[in-house]
Amino acid sequence: MALSSLTATGWGVDCRWLREVRRGAVTLAIVAIAACSPAEVSLTSGALNSPHSDSQPALSGNGRYLAFVSNRGGSSEIALYDLQLKRLVPLPSISRDDAIAESPSLSYSGRYLVYVASDRGRPEIELYDRISRRVRVLTNGYRGWVRNPNISPDGRYVVFETGRRGQWDIEVLDRGPNIELDRADGT
Amino acid sequence: MEPKRFARIASNPAWMLAGLVGALAACTPYPRLLDPAFDPGGRGLNSQFDERSPDVAGRYVVFVSERQRRQNIYLYDLRTNQTIDLPGLNRLTVLASDPDVSRDGRYIVFVGNRQDRSGIYLYDRQTRQVRELAANLNASVREPTISADGSRIAFEASINGQWDIVVYSRSGQPIELPSRPLL
Repeated sequence: MALSSLTATGWGVDCRWLREVRRGAVTLAIVAIAACSPAEVSLTSGALNSPHSDSQPALSGNGRYLAFVSNRGGSSEIALYDLQLKRLVPLPSISRDDAIAESPSLSYSGRYLVYVASDRGRPEIELYDRISRRVRVLTNGYRGWVRNPNISPDGRYVVFETGRRGQWDIEVLDRGPNIELDRADGT
Repeated sequence: MEPKRFARIASNPAWMLAGLVGALAACTPYPRLLDPAFDPGGRGLNSQFDERSPDVAGRYVVFVSERQRRQNIYLYDLRTNQTIDLPGLNRLTVLASDPDVSRDGRYIVFVGNRQDRSGIYLYDRQTRQVRELAANLNASVREPTISADGSRIAFEASINGQWDIVVYSRSGQPIELPSRPLL
């Protein structure tokens, strides 16, 4: 139907049609670029809330950083916002396309970040150290469903919900006195 | 200490056992799970009912539990291994959830639901007063968090038909944040 009307109406309409295609292609290209580089767009815009849903906020102990779950990259991932410099902070080591990350929590200066990652079919509580840039799984070998982790300001304790006893209970994980504590004075 | 007396103590099986237990405890690797004793009197961390939404700051763990047949907020002290009384916090007319506590244990922020209206509430343990934060914000609210230093509170608010994050100072002043669409 569309094809027959095109051949019947000749050049004038044909050109308009081409223009439409060109305009469509430009729009498509913009959308495609935006979809491919969500982190860059967010970083330059400085916006905290995106048109996608942002949820589960967690403040660092000093009130400077805000971690939250963002869907702006198309998948559910953790984002970190600097309330002082008013921009997003990249989290390269924990941004993966194949995992759902949620329930973030921050230590005092925002050095330690704990969250739940579901990348192997089972939720695990992970700890990301923003100084060493290493991710560590805290619930390796733990028997029982886990959710809602929360880290103490000094980074030593991590509490979380456990389904181990057939109901929701609270577990307290002690990372020990020998870790590098996240103290108020930055030492 | 005389050598004879030391030998007598050292050869005592009870002392040897105590020494062994002490040495084993010192060797326990970290990280490890604390195992707070179960308190049948209801002042422990866990009970035979659900415990949810734990947040830890300093020596305090705040959480909700249904151990008294309704959903209440509890504050647990990791040093004394007991819950601390929170007079004036748990009221019959308000369903409280999602608590968070400042590091000094003074401020507890939580969601209160009263007759289909949700609000962010701040409890001050020193004055035993509860007040609503951002009471003029006409939105459903959830998931509050307070910074350990007690200076700021962030939460989710359904303002434009979706959940957005807003940040307030403890005194109730909104913190201005850039918020505009990405495209």
